[in-house]
Amino acid sequence: MDAPATERGASDPAAERSPRRDRERRAFIYGFVAIAVVAALPTLPFVNDYLLAVVVRALIFIALGQAWNVVAGIGGLLSLGHGAFLGLGCYATGILFNDYGLPPWLGVWVGALLSLAVALVMGTMTLRMRGVFFALATIAVSLALDQLARHYVDLTGGDNGLALKFLGDSLWFMQSRTPTPFVYAGLVFVIAYYWITRWVLGSRLGLQMRAVRDDEVAAAAAGVGVFRTKLLGLLLSAVMTSVAGTLYMQSYQAIDPETAFGLSQAIQLQLPALIGGLGTAWGPIVGGAVMIFLSEATNWGSTKLGVAGIDILVYGLLLLAVVMYAPKGIMGLFAARARGGR
Amino acid sequence: MSGLETAMLPVMQAVLSGILVGGVYGLLSIGLSLAFGVMRIVNFAHGDMVMYGMYVGVVGSTILGIDPFLALPASFLLMAVLGALQYRVVFRRFVGHTTLNQLLAAIGLGLALQMVAQLIFGVDARSAHSIFAGKYDLIGPFFLARAQIVAFGVAGVATILVELLLRKTQWGKAVRAVADNIEAAEIVGLKSQTINLTAFALSCGLAGIAGTVLVTYYPTDPTKGFTLMPIALIATTIGGLGSIGGAFLGGIFCGVIQQTTAMLWNSALQDVPLYVLLLVFIAFRPMGFFGRRSE
Repeated sequence: MDAPATERGASDPAAERSPRRDRERRAFIYGFVAIAVVAALPTLPFVNDYLLAVVVRALIFIALGQAWNVVAGIGGLLSLGHGAFLGLGCYATGILFNDYGLPPWLGVWVGALLSLAVALVMGTMTLRMRGVFFALATIAVSLALDQLARHYVDLTGGDNGLALKFLGDSLWFMQSRTPTPFVYAGLVFVIAYYWITRWVLGSRLGLQMRAVRDDEVAAAAAGVGVFRTKLLGLLLSAVMTSVAGTLYMQSYQAIDPETAFGLSQAIQLQLPALIGGLGTAWGPIVGGAVMIFLSEATNWGSTKLGVAGIDILVYGLLLLAVVMYAPKGIMGLFAARARGGR
Repeated sequence: MSGLETAMLPVMQAVLSGILVGGVYGLLSIGLSLAFGVMRIVNFAHGDMVMYGMYVGVVGSTILGIDPFLALPASFLLMAVLGALQYRVVFRRFVGHTTLNQLLAAIGLGLALQMVAQLIFGVDARSAHSIFAGKYDLIGPFFLARAQIVAFGVAGVATILVELLLRKTQWGKAVRAVADNIEAAEIVGLKSQTINLTAFALSCGLAGIAGTVLVTYYPTDPTKGFTLMPIALIATTIGGLGSIGGAFLGGIFCGVIQQTTAMLWNSALQDVPLYVLLLVFIAFRPMGFFGRRSE
């Protein structure tokens, strides 16, 4: 997304470097301030548990959006079923804890391995074909998991879902009465996933993923292993989603098939990156915050009005508006203004 | 009757109902396949157009007292107009390539359509009453619902008509030319935007017909679009993306697999083999039964 800057840099490297470094420094300061504010929130007197729960929700969806961003934003793969990996993470952690007493610290890796396996099978079967087939396959996989989760009631709790047994405040079992610990856990996730995305963007893999996204044929001609690149992107994204799923499970303490594998969840996983800016490390962070704010506002509005479903209507229109009028999201709008205004 | 025959009877019954149900799945799919074949648009909002078609049947039956089968022309026209509008506002800019943004735009549109339906009609399931409802025909040893037989007939006729329209008429020739090569079609004087608009309107009109036929034996609610969409997508892929006859046969294939699974294994898991089948087709035969190899 820095294409114009790079072009300028090619003609005049000195002029390019300093605004970019300025931008980096500014981004670092913004980030630091944001982290400090969120970290200080639980200690402030006017902040209640409801507000903290909203913050946790925002942090979780930023992390999930960041994971989707890796496969869709950087890799250009149309995953419409990332709920599958979220669900596997949630269910694996929950079932292993409830039935076998396994702490989520271990359950998370079982979920990640399951997600890895599903992504590997799905990717191997579909990533050699055109993008639309991959998109269809991701839907099929989440719907299949949905039917299985509804059917095997003994294991998953069926339609009603699975609720974690509550043991009281415990770090070992990642349980807490108040949302405060999850604010910090969520913050750790957001920072870690931001750095993973930054690392991917700067790495050889990220370069190859973007090359494949922009022009598969040209990338192949330049010696990029197209299939391998796509698959690695999908695997990384699946594991990131699944691991964040454990945080989701511990924070909400319950999961059901609709929440895990349903379409509206899949869309909520996509919106942070789409609103904020696909393929950028800051996009999901900005977009996730905006999405949760809008979601809370419309929820409040629809309870006031007594009409259900307005939040979904807003999601739909938002999705439509973003892809039609601002395909590069909020970050894209900022970048355009920065370029035009200078 | 021998023991084997007695054992096979329920399976035969499941296959027959599968064919009948599948015909309507085919009807759901041909419009979807048309939009993809002509414009490379995977219209995730197609299911929601079907859902609106179902409500046309409900409104006609409960408010105006018209049999859903007589409401078919109105349903076709209404959905075609709505489809043309969608094409003008949303899909026009996505013609030619199936992109992430195109899929997301269709999903966004689908969500909006679903919620508008919920605001108008409420969340409760509604059904339409047809003169064929609740009547069964005994054909040999098999019980078949008459509404499903008539629905299958409508689906078959619609498929044949669309195939004829595409193969035999001037309009069909123009549509195929635009689908093959949009620049070349423009050069010989075809107005590709107008032709695509009519093709998209036809696609949505077919969704309307499918919905109105379906509501004669299957109640509707605002989420039905999302419920029906996966099967339509699978049938279209298995039949061959872009093929009309293929989509119809793909629908029948899905119907048979679904009903026999429900009969032999478990009705709660009746769709799981379809999802697996989709993956297998994508991996080994992405052009489906009748798609062109280049797909």
